[in-house]
Amino acid sequence: MENLKKNIRVLKEMAYLRFNKLTVSRLDFFAPFFIDGSLFLVQILAFKAIYSNTGRIGSWGQGEMVIYIGTFSMLNAINMVIYFFGINEIPQKIRNGELDLYLSKPISPLFRLTFENISPGSLPLVVLSACIILYGINILDIRPGIIQAGVYVFWILVMEVLYYDIAVIVRSVPLYIVSMARMEQIEEAGLDLCMKLPGIALYGIYKVLFYLIMPYGIMATFPVQSIINEMDLWTGIYGVFIVIAFSIITRIIWKLGLRHYNSASS
Amino acid sequence: MSENIIKIEDLTKKYRRFKKKEGIKGSIASLWKREYEEKTAVNQVSLSVRQGEFIGLVGPNGAGKTTLIKMMTGIIAPSSGRIDVLGYYPNDLKNSFKKKYAIVMGQKSQLFFELTVNDTLRLFKEIYEIPEEKFLESRDYFVQLFGVADIMDVQVRTLSLGERMKMELLTALLHNPEILFLDEPTIGLDAVAAKQIRKFLKEINRQRGTTIILTSHYMEDIKALCERTVVINHGMKIFDGRTSELFEKYQKNKRISVTFHNIEDNINLQTEITGVSNENPYKKVYEVARENSKALLAEIMEFNPDDIIIEEEEIGVIVERIYQEGGICNA
Repeated sequence: MENLKKNIRVLKEMAYLRFNKLTVSRLDFFAPFFIDGSLFLVQILAFKAIYSNTGRIGSWGQGEMVIYIGTFSMLNAINMVIYFFGINEIPQKIRNGELDLYLSKPISPLFRLTFENISPGSLPLVVLSACIILYGINILDIRPGIIQAGVYVFWILVMEVLYYDIAVIVRSVPLYIVSMARMEQIEEAGLDLCMKLPGIALYGIYKVLFYLIMPYGIMATFPVQSIINEMDLWTGIYGVFIVIAFSIITRIIWKLGLRHYNSASS
Repeated sequence: MSENIIKIEDLTKKYRRFKKKEGIKGSIASLWKREYEEKTAVNQVSLSVRQGEFIGLVGPNGAGKTTLIKMMTGIIAPSSGRIDVLGYYPNDLKNSFKKKYAIVMGQKSQLFFELTVNDTLRLFKEIYEIPEEKFLESRDYFVQLFGVADIMDVQVRTLSLGERMKMELLTALLHNPEILFLDEPTIGLDAVAAKQIRKFLKEINRQRGTTIILTSHYMEDIKALCERTVVINHGMKIFDGRTSELFEKYQKNKRISVTFHNIEDNINLQTEITGVSNENPYKKVYEVARENSKALLAEIMEFNPDDIIIEEEEIGVIVERIYQEGGICNA
């Protein structure tokens, strides 16, 4: 409990510092609103181009697909706001020895790295994603109750944890070997594919790959299944299991990696 | 006598590094068959440090000083040997341990360059869980000691190197650590700034009883600050004893650089010198035995020099001499 209180205080202070840092340069502060917004528009246009020519994907029609796109955008937007810019710097900090400064402070280095570069400039993406989700719900003409909405939010949060876990695992590689071996590109390719194609359209080896080994395929699929009443109990249990398993794996890889850390010479 | 707060026995750190053969052929061959060599950065070092000591850790580049400090702070794990710092195994990385020490690395900054030092201090207050009253008291004490009141609200990136080092120290000392590890704190600083930093460190060690372990290339730092010096070379401890003893026994010469207004070709000195070189037509560098330096200076003054710089011998020369004389380990 004490630790949680401390972490909240540190988090508050880091957010305050980050905001101060961003406001030093007006360009730094305002540019993300335009850049992230433009990237978002490009994504939406790509989806529109694909799905205007496709009636159904698996059992999902246009409404489900719009919710799916909104859900993936939401996961991505939350990632961008909270931890993307912090986590992304981990490999560089390992390689240049800057991690030393994190290891010598009485707070979890991963906690600090995760939250020290939050990006308020990506907040509009969260709002835009919510608009897309609401639009999809409107197309489907469904009226989810509070419980169903709560379950959907629960799955969003759980899948955000999974998204985070995979990002940390990929960026912990330099703790063991110097080279990242272009691991980030595999991550990008996986995300890119699963952002366009829901998990229900995957079969065989692809399903094993994107449901188990690199579970990007379930990230947006499960929350959507929960809101359109398509999720059975076993799917739900599997989702929770995979997130817990990946969280444990992430913790082990990170902790063991710190033992392997050799620190760049001064 | 105060107790040992750092106990190290036969501490060793080995790295494995990839050895690549020359040329394209070697590069292709290395894809299938890789050769590694083992580098021992720290080799069976034993050391104990008492509370309140100010210890100098010296040695040439790549001697293993920084690796030893990183093991003492838990940043890296040792390959073998025993290490106990303040009752902890450092690489367990326990927060309770990290609250008891601070580390300042001359080449790595813990300050936020875009922000002010006051901003950084606020974050560290929360990280170290320092109560508000204690935080203000500690901050005010160091601000006054370092004389930095007027630059606390200035962007860090606009500070000079000397000012920045003062701020690094202030940030590190805020939580009143029991041990302060300093890795080359005066690197790149001019003589005035280095002297100021030395003065502050002396004060902190004396007034607060902080144990300080300092690595430095500059013998001036060690001479001015440390009662005890540990010399490391190729990862091994080759001297551990009183700094005065190190200098008396192994630092035999001084370097005196003299700049003249005119080209001075005919300088016949009576004082015995061990070497002389001409850096340029106006500048001569004399190597002279310590006991003869006073006489040499008196003689040189007769030629009306523009500038005189007196330097201690470099650490490399001292290390060489320790080897030549068999080396000693007192502690």
